[in-house]
Amino acid sequence: MLNMQNIGKLYQTEMVQTQALREFNLTVNEGEFIAVTGPSGSGKTTFLNIAGLLESYSSGQYMLDGIDVGKLNDNQRSDLRNQKIGFIFQGFNLIPDLNLFENIEVPLRYRGIKAKERKRRVEHCLEQVGLAGRARHLPQQLSGGQQQRVAIARALAGEPRFLLADEPTGNLDSLMARQVMTLLEELNRAGTTIVMVTHDPELARRTPRNIQIVDGQVADFTLYQGTQAPHVNPQMSVEV
Amino acid sequence: MSEIKPILNTLMRSKAGALLLILQIAVTLAIVSNAISIVSDRVDKLSEDTGYDEQGIIAFTVLTYNRNIDRAKQFKEDMAKLKEIDGVIEAMTVSSIPLSSSGGSWIISDNPDEMQGKRVDSGYIQANHRVVNAFGLKVSEGRDFEPQDESDGTDSQFPSVAIVSRAVANKLFGEGKGLNEFIYSGDNMMKIVGIVETMKSQWPDSKMGDNVMLIPIERSRMYQRVIVKTEPSKRAKIMKLIEPLLLENERQRVIIDVKGLDEAKAQTYQRDTLMIRMLVALIVFLVIITALGIFGLTHFNISKRTKQIGTRRALGARKSAIFSYFLVENTLVTLFGVIAGSIAALYLGGQLMASYNIPALDWSIVLYTGVAMLGMSLMSVYQPAKRAANISPSIATRSI
Repeated sequence: MLNMQNIGKLYQTEMVQTQALREFNLTVNEGEFIAVTGPSGSGKTTFLNIAGLLESYSSGQYMLDGIDVGKLNDNQRSDLRNQKIGFIFQGFNLIPDLNLFENIEVPLRYRGIKAKERKRRVEHCLEQVGLAGRARHLPQQLSGGQQQRVAIARALAGEPRFLLADEPTGNLDSLMARQVMTLLEELNRAGTTIVMVTHDPELARRTPRNIQIVDGQVADFTLYQGTQAPHVNPQMSVEV
Repeated sequence: MSEIKPILNTLMRSKAGALLLILQIAVTLAIVSNAISIVSDRVDKLSEDTGYDEQGIIAFTVLTYNRNIDRAKQFKEDMAKLKEIDGVIEAMTVSSIPLSSSGGSWIISDNPDEMQGKRVDSGYIQANHRVVNAFGLKVSEGRDFEPQDESDGTDSQFPSVAIVSRAVANKLFGEGKGLNEFIYSGDNMMKIVGIVETMKSQWPDSKMGDNVMLIPIERSRMYQRVIVKTEPSKRAKIMKLIEPLLLENERQRVIIDVKGLDEAKAQTYQRDTLMIRMLVALIVFLVIITALGIFGLTHFNISKRTKQIGTRRALGARKSAIFSYFLVENTLVTLFGVIAGSIAALYLGGQLMASYNIPALDWSIVLYTGVAMLGMSLMSVYQPAKRAANISPSIATRSI
């Protein structure tokens, strides 16, 4: 699903150069659920941005679902994000002026899906996250946990094969965090590949596979055999 | 992809900024379209054909304070001298200078008892029988004056003929009529022997702007107006020669206000010119303020929505989708402003017409102004929308 070979990312300003990722190698197979941990400033967000095609890399090769990302132009990257990747952000990133229905249909509009099909998918996703009756509510009328469930519904609406979650429980209390995590585990069992960046070791332990990034490189990886059985083939690999 | 519905919903949920902009656009449109209407009316007036050879005529006044002088003889000598100058076609004394806002007017009627007949206020200009040619006018019906038509204007010698403007003839005798008809003013009766299609009076911006009659009277006055018709290319040079030449003939007099007829007209219209300048400045000011308002609000909206834009990009929006989002949003706001402004413009136009001497506001001016406002709005939003489109999708994962 995702294959990064010797990925390097250099941020350059007039005063300083920062090597955010160096010789970064990672393979994530279809159906995996991995947690990415690491100290602040280690390169987790840069990895997430590159994996989600939100920013470009300076060197190396990145193949997503067999497509060489480095050869895509901006429009093709946008289309690929829209079609294959779902995002869950730490701050939910819901659009405050749009109600839940409109928020969830945003990626579907960019895909050019017709109104009737959009309605079907949005209603299905809202049902999936347990917010079926609240389509006309605005995000600020919901609790943090509910907002994150809407964000998950938005990520799911496009039926992505690859879900990127950036600290999805970072702004939630422990009960809400567990509910969101359970939802992600259900999605993974249903076949979605998930890469989750987190600071929370307890959450990381719940994923079948955990990698740690230190100084822009994959420093260590561990295969947890948690309570949730991994959906995928255990022959998945991480190349360091 | 149609973004109109969610954009409308967004605007409805956060109305304040959009409403202020709609109000600003509406007020600007209402004022600007009425200002354009007034400017256009004034410009039409200024560029209207007066009938005179404005570029070739020099006008001035001679104040003779020597009471012992034979003014009639002196002016004859003066005119003869003036005609000797290279480039001078004609020179003559006149009772008043057209387009100059100064002169005499009469009430003339088609009936000896003016209370019984039609009446019209008209300027008059008395000059010798060559006056039509001297002014560069063209008699469109009837004939020009002949030497025998001329008199000195005393009661017993008052001329029996006149040449009138088409407007005077129409008002007294009906459209296209008037030639060989008689007109009356006080005890004087004159036959209309010629009609000039276009001939403005001394007060071109007044209600009697088109009403003027020429009377073949040559008389000398202490305060005498003079016109000199020249070849336009030599006029400036001739203008400088007039005062020294006349003072050389007779020193006990003052030559006042030597200027071209076009300059006299410009002075008459200076209030209109000033009004045009002020209104144009107002139009420019309002358009700039509104453009800055749109530019500023869009910039503000983009700054406020940076993370939202990044999120939209992360969710698959192409740069063009973000660009068109702001264009569509702004166009919708501007359209609401244009609709409200058009109604306000027509109402304001009606009020101005009722209160001042202003023509009715033409709806096409409102339409063109509205289209121009839309164009200006698109130009104002172009740069901020480009900036928004270039916001990186990676903003979505940053804490800002």
